[in-house]
Amino acid sequence: MIQAKNVSLRYIDGTVALREINLNVKPGEFVYIVGPSGSGKTSLLKLLMGIEFPSAGSLYVMDQPVLKKETRKIRKLRQNIGPVFQEFRLIQGRTALENVLMGMRFLDIPKRQMIINAKNALVKVGLEHKASVMVEKLSFGEAQRVAIARAVARKPALILADEPTGNLDYDNAINIMNLLYNFRDKNTTVLVTTHATHLIDNYQDASLIRVEKGKIHVERRGAKV
Amino acid sequence: MKNTFYFIKESIRIFRYNKLSNLFSFFGTALILFLLALVVGVWSISSQLAGMLKEEAEISAYFNKDVENAEDLLHIIEQIDGVRYVRLVNEEEARSRMEKILGDESDILDLFEENPFEAYFEVKIHLDKMDPVFTQISGLKGIDYVRENRDVLEQIERISKALEVLGYLVIAAVSITTLVIISHMIRQGIYQNHEQIKTLMLLGAPDNFINFPYVLLGFLLTFGGGIVATVFINILIHQGYSMLTGTIPFIPVPPKSQLVYGLSTFLLSVSAALGILGSLFGVSTSKKKK
Ligand SMILES: Nc1ncnc2c1ncn2[C@@H]1O[C@H](COP(=O)(O)OP(=O)(O)O)[C@@H](O)[C@H]1O
Ligand SMILES: [Mg+2]
Repeated sequence: MIQAKNVSLRYIDGTVALREINLNVKPGEFVYIVGPSGSGKTSLLKLLMGIEFPSAGSLYVMDQPVLKKETRKIRKLRQNIGPVFQEFRLIQGRTALENVLMGMRFLDIPKRQMIINAKNALVKVGLEHKASVMVEKLSFGEAQRVAIARAVARKPALILADEPTGNLDYDNAINIMNLLYNFRDKNTTVLVTTHATHLIDNYQDASLIRVEKGKIHVERRGAKV
Repeated sequence: MKNTFYFIKESIRIFRYNKLSNLFSFFGTALILFLLALVVGVWSISSQLAGMLKEEAEISAYFNKDVENAEDLLHIIEQIDGVRYVRLVNEEEARSRMEKILGDESDILDLFEENPFEAYFEVKIHLDKMDPVFTQISGLKGIDYVRENRDVLEQIERISKALEVLGYLVIAAVSITTLVIISHMIRQGIYQNHEQIKTLMLLGAPDNFINFPYVLLGFLLTFGGGIVATVFINILIHQGYSMLTGTIPFIPVPPKSQLVYGLSTFLLSVSAALGILGSLFGVSTSKKKK
């Protein structure tokens, strides 16, 4: 699913966010990425989505090299990813349902199927009763779940969730984490960044990756489904 | 298409985001297009008029009483290069023509005991051959004097040329202004929604999907302006014709339906084209600063 070889990421201002990382993620893995703030977790996810590009090394996601000049391939790659952004990136002035639909409108999904997927995703995150509420009226935790619903409704091969438990209390955090954990199946790989290390033990078959100052340590190799 | 309704809703939303300036550009475009239609209408009437009058280029050749056989002279004139046809207008016809022109005033002709009009040749010619034909006819034996209506015709032609130039200028000005207005509206809309656009890009949405609501809005604003302008120009033509036919019956204006049809088609297609071009231009010039 993901092969990174000696990948470094250096931002234009000179900050080196990732140093010669090596990573191999198989389809169906649930990967837990921990590390302090500023260690490079978001940067890693940005590389995987083709928002940033390696300044050195080679990176393959879904067997495609992630290269800046391949705009069309990057777009295809993003279409196969279900992203949950740290800042949610919900589209204001639209309902929860419309936000979930927006993630699918340009995909090759028939209209009926699109609506079914969206409603199912909202049911799974427990927000079917908020489907027609404007997203700016939702609580923080609800908005978080709409973002997850948008990501999973498109049936992506790879779910990338950036700190989905941030700012949530323990109960809500464990709910969100369980939710993401349950979306993992043999066709769906899930990567979650967090600094909520106390949750790790709940997921014994998850892989655990620690990021520190741009370096990656694979601490535990989890099973895939 | 599964997103038809979505695109329309998005366009309306972008419109409402900037209701006032969008409304202004809508009515501004309508007004500009209306002015365009006015100029083009006058231009087309005048050029049709000039075209018709060109065929009225004629020379009146008066011959002296010694000419015994006017028919022979007529045949000679007919052979001259540039002459379209020649007709002999006899004294009675000359008088009845004048009666027609004078209308109600024609009673004054009764003051003459004898018919004051002379017979003459009415020579219809090609306007550009006016000079050689004129000298040749003047030189013919038996021709007393010759009169032509070139001055009037050339005057009209000059006016219609000037109107043509004015027409092109106005078309250029209207096109540029409309393109600037619409593309600016589009750029503004894209700028205000750049967060949403960025999100869609991160989700892998193609450019066409992202841009379509903006292009649709630009098209609708301009084409809508075109429709409003068309309605008003139709009202104006209708009013104008009913006034014209009442007062100055002899001006050979083109038939009303032709003008209505021509101007409406012109306005609608110009506004549609400008709408699409303007929004595509707006979209393509705002993409660089995403
Ligand atoms: N766009 C950027 N330009 C320059 N430096 C950046 C940018 N984004 C992140 N960084 C820097 O890269 C490092 C890693 O950041 P980030 O990946 O956001 O860490 P994390 O997500 O683990 O908190 C930090 O030092 C941060 O300041
Ligand atoms: Mg981060």
